[in-house]
Amino acid sequence: MEMTDEIRIKAPKARVYEALNDPAVLKAAIPGCESLEQVSDEELEAKVVLKVGPVKATFGGKVTLDRSGAPDSFSLKGEGSGGVAGFAKGGADVELVADGDETILRYAAKAEIGGKIAMLGSRLINSTAQKLAEQFFTNFSARLAS
Amino acid sequence: MNDMTPPKDERAVALKGLGASRKRVEDVRFTQGKGNYVDDLKLPGMLFGDFVRSPYAHARIKSINSEKAKALPGVVAVLTAADLAPLNLHWMPTLAGDVQMVLADGKVLFQGQEVAFVVANDRYVAADAVELVEVEYEELPVVVDPFKAQAPDAPVLREDLAGKTSGAHGPRRHHNHIFTWEQGDRDATEKVLSSADVVAEEMVYYHRTHPCPLETCGCVASMDKVNGKLTVHGTFQAPHAVRTVASLISGIAEHNIRIISPDIGGGFGNKVGVYPGYICAIVASIVTGKPVKWIEDRMENLMATAFARDYWMKGRISATKDGRITGLSCHVTADHGAFDACADPTKFPAGFFNICTGSYDIPVAHLAVDGVYTNKAPGGVAYRCSFRVTEAAYFIERMIEVLAIKLGMDAAELRTKNFIRKDQFPYQSALGWEYDSGDYHTAWDKALKAVDYAGLRREQADRIADFKAGKTRKLLGIGLTHFTEIVGAGPVKNCDILGLGMFDSCEIRIHPTGSAIARLGTISQGQGHATTFAQILASEIGLPADDITVEEGDTDTAPYGLGTYGSRSTPVAGAATAMAGRKIRAKAQMIAAYLLEVHDDDVEWDIDRFVVKGAPERFKTMKEIAFAAYNQAIPGLEPGLEAVSYYDPPNMTYPFGAYICVMEIDVDTGEHKVRQFYALDDCGTRINPMIIEGQVHGGATEGYAIAMGQEIAYDEIGNVKTGTLMDFFLPTAWETPHYTTDFTVTPSPHHPIGAKGVGESPNVGSVPAFSNAVHDAFRAFGLTQSHMPHDHWRIWKVAHDLGLHG
Repeated sequence: MEMTDEIRIKAPKARVYEALNDPAVLKAAIPGCESLEQVSDEELEAKVVLKVGPVKATFGGKVTLDRSGAPDSFSLKGEGSGGVAGFAKGGADVELVADGDETILRYAAKAEIGGKIAMLGSRLINSTAQKLAEQFFTNFSARLAS
Repeated sequence: MNDMTPPKDERAVALKGLGASRKRVEDVRFTQGKGNYVDDLKLPGMLFGDFVRSPYAHARIKSINSEKAKALPGVVAVLTAADLAPLNLHWMPTLAGDVQMVLADGKVLFQGQEVAFVVANDRYVAADAVELVEVEYEELPVVVDPFKAQAPDAPVLREDLAGKTSGAHGPRRHHNHIFTWEQGDRDATEKVLSSADVVAEEMVYYHRTHPCPLETCGCVASMDKVNGKLTVHGTFQAPHAVRTVASLISGIAEHNIRIISPDIGGGFGNKVGVYPGYICAIVASIVTGKPVKWIEDRMENLMATAFARDYWMKGRISATKDGRITGLSCHVTADHGAFDACADPTKFPAGFFNICTGSYDIPVAHLAVDGVYTNKAPGGVAYRCSFRVTEAAYFIERMIEVLAIKLGMDAAELRTKNFIRKDQFPYQSALGWEYDSGDYHTAWDKALKAVDYAGLRREQADRIADFKAGKTRKLLGIGLTHFTEIVGAGPVKNCDILGLGMFDSCEIRIHPTGSAIARLGTISQGQGHATTFAQILASEIGLPADDITVEEGDTDTAPYGLGTYGSRSTPVAGAATAMAGRKIRAKAQMIAAYLLEVHDDDVEWDIDRFVVKGAPERFKTMKEIAFAAYNQAIPGLEPGLEAVSYYDPPNMTYPFGAYICVMEIDVDTGEHKVRQFYALDDCGTRINPMIIEGQVHGGATEGYAIAMGQEIAYDEIGNVKTGTLMDFFLPTAWETPHYTTDFTVTPSPHHPIGAKGVGESPNVGSVPAFSNAVHDAFRAFGLTQSHMPHDHWRIWKVAHDLGLHG
C-alpha cells in the first residue's frame, strides 16, 4: 500500500532534518517503538509493537537511512519480522521545503505486510498504516514545535 | 396368533423403511451436545502438537533454530524436515500422484505451509513454543496467477521436479505445468465450431473457495509400544484408505494400524486428504511413545488444508440459428496450488469435469484441462460435489445463458430444446459418460410451472420498464439451472484412488432376538447414515429400522471401503447394504421353509416375513427366523445369520435437478435478496424425504455462500486475505434464503434400490442458479459474464460499469 501526505512543521528546515536523524526523536515519535538503536552510520535497529485488528506483535528489524539527498530529502527503508505474526517491510521518501521559519514535510511511504497479521487484519491494514503514519508525523512535529 | 396379523401397509410403516421420513437417530446426541468428536478425546499422558507456519508464500529457508523453543518447560520435541528425512517422511505422496512436503524442505511454497511441529505437554505451551522457533527466510518471487505461472520466465516453484518432463498424468510442458488432460474429439469439434451459425465464447471463472467444515481437521495418534499397534482417531472421510496409505508410507503392517473416525462435524471434501498434521502427530507419537493430539484452528484450516475449485474455464459453444446446440469446446486452466493434492480418482486428474456437456444432447465436444502450480495452498477437493462436477455444471449452465444471449433467445426455451430426451437413455455423452437414466423435460416443465415462469418474465419486463423510467432502483433476476451430476464413484474398472478400487461394503449381523448391526466402509459426517442405511436394510430384511444399529468409521471392525465423499455412500455403500440384506433374506428363506416344512420355493417374501404361497396364514416372521437361525439345528445350514457384501457398481449414477432462483438486486448498494428459491431434485428412489430436504437446504446454503460471497482470496504477495470467518463468508440463519423443495423420481436402472444420491446435488445446482440470477438481472443492460462471488461490492461494480449509476 502507498501513502502520501504533507504536513507543516513549526521548525526550521535544518532542525527538522537533524531531528529525522536523531534516534531519540524518532523513538519518541514512532508509535509503539520500544527501542531504536544506531548500529552504524546508516543503520538502526528497531523494536516496535504493532497492533492490527486483533493481532498485536513485537516486530524486530533493521532500518536503513539514505542521506544522499541532504538537506532537502531523506529516505529510509526498513524490514522487520514479527515471528508467527508475520513480517513487514517498507520505506519512505521524505522531502523538506523551507517556508520561512517553518518547514513543509512531504512524504511518500510504501508498506508491505505479510503473514498472520495481514490475514487477520487485511481489511484494517490500510487504515491502520495511514493512522500510524499520521501519528508518527504528529508526534514528530509536536516534539519539534515544543 | 396368526389371525392377528396386521395388514401389509401397517407392517411396512412399522419398519420405517424406504420412503419413511424417519427422524435422524444421530440427532438425539447431537442436539444435546453429546456428540463425540476427535477433540473431545483425552487419552492419559496425551501431548499436543502445533505448527510453525510460513508467513511467506515463497521463500527459501536459510535456517531454523528451535533451541529457545526446546528450552521452554513443557516442550517435548520440535520436529523439522531434517528430523523426518531419515524416516523418509519429510515428503509424502498426494492423492493425485504428486508429492508434498510434510515439513518445509529447504523452501516454502505457500503462506501457512508447515515448517516445524512443536510437541508439548500442554496446548498453550505448544503455542508459546511455536513463537520461539526462529526461522530465517529469504524471500523469492511469488506467483499467485495460474496464467503468469506459465510464462517462460515465471519463477520455478517446484525445484524438486527440475528436469522432469512428465508427471503422474503425462507430459509437462513448463516448469509450473502439472498435466494436460484431454477428452472428446478436438478435430471434429473444431470443424463444427468453425462452420456453425452461431458461436458463443466466454471465460467462466469458478473462484477458489474452501469447504470450511465447522469442525476443523485433527487427529490423536497413539502408538502403543508394548503391542506395536498404532491407533489414530481423526477427522477422516475415508478411514480405510487412510489406514492403507499410512501403512504404505510408514511401513507399519496394516493389521497394526487402527483408524477410527468418531463423529465428524462436517467434511465436504476437506477431510478426504492426508495432511502433514496427521503424519507429524503419528511420528511424534512413535518417537515419544505417548498419544499426540493435533487440532488445527480456523485460520490454519482456511489457509492450509484443502481448498476447492479455482478453475478458469474458457468455453465455446455453437448452435444453429434456431438454437439447436451443435458443439462444445472447453479449455480449463486449473490452479492446483503448490502441490497437486487434488482428491480425484487416479485416472481423472480433473475429476469428472467431462460431465460438462450437462443435461444437453451435444453431438460433439472437446475438453482439455491444464493443471498449474502456483504459490497457493494445495488441494482441489470436491467441496460437497462429486469430483469437479460443480465446476462442470457451473460452466455449462453459464455457457447456456451466454448462448441464449447471443441467440436472443429465452434461456428456459433453449434448455428445453436441447435436453437429452427420456427415450435417449442410457445416453452416451460426447465426452465419454453413459448417463443411466433421466427425464429432464418432465422435471423442467414441473419447475417452470411451479414458479410461474411466464409470469416472472412479465414481471421482470415491467420492472425493467420501471427502472428505465426512474420509478425503481431494484432489478429482478431469474436464475435458471438444470444440472446433471455424476456420482457414486465408482466402478473399479476405471475408478481408484492410489490404486485402491472404489467399491464399498456392508456387513450385517442379525442378533438372535431379531435386531441387527450393520457396519459399512463409509463414514457419516452429518449425512445421517445411521438413519438411512438402517432404512434400506429395514425394507430388505423386514426388521424395524429402530432395531438396526449402523456403525462406521472403525477400521478394526468395519469392512473395507473407500469412505464418504462425492455422493458415493448411497450409490455404492447403499447398494452394498441392499445386497448384503438380500443375502440375509436368501438364507432366511431356507430357514423359513424348513420351519414351515415346505420347499424353499414354496415360501415368498411379505414385508417382514416369509409366507407359504397360497396359505398366507402360515408364515415365519424375520424375528422368528433370526432366533431359529442361531438356536435350532437346521440340517445342511450353518448356524447364524450374517452377510457381507462388497459392491462394485457397474456404472455411476446421474442425479439431476431443476433449480430456479428469483433475486432482487439493489443497483445502488449491490445488495441482493433471494425472493424465491425452488429446488427440484431427482435422486432416483428416495430413502428418507426428510433427510433429502435437509441435504438440499444445507447444500443450497453452501452454494449460496459460494456464489454470493465466499472465497479464498490472495493478494499479490500471496497473503491469504480471507483467513478468518470475518472475511470468509459463512452464512448464518440471517442470510440463508428460504427454500422450496420438490422432486421427481427416475430410479437408477442399475442400482439395487434405484437410488442415485443427493447430498451434493444442491451445491452443484444452486451455485449456477444464484449466479445466473445475478447475471439475468443485468442481461437487459448488456451484461454477459461477471465472475463470482457476487458480493455486494462486485454487484455494485457491475451496475457501475454498465452505467446504471447515472
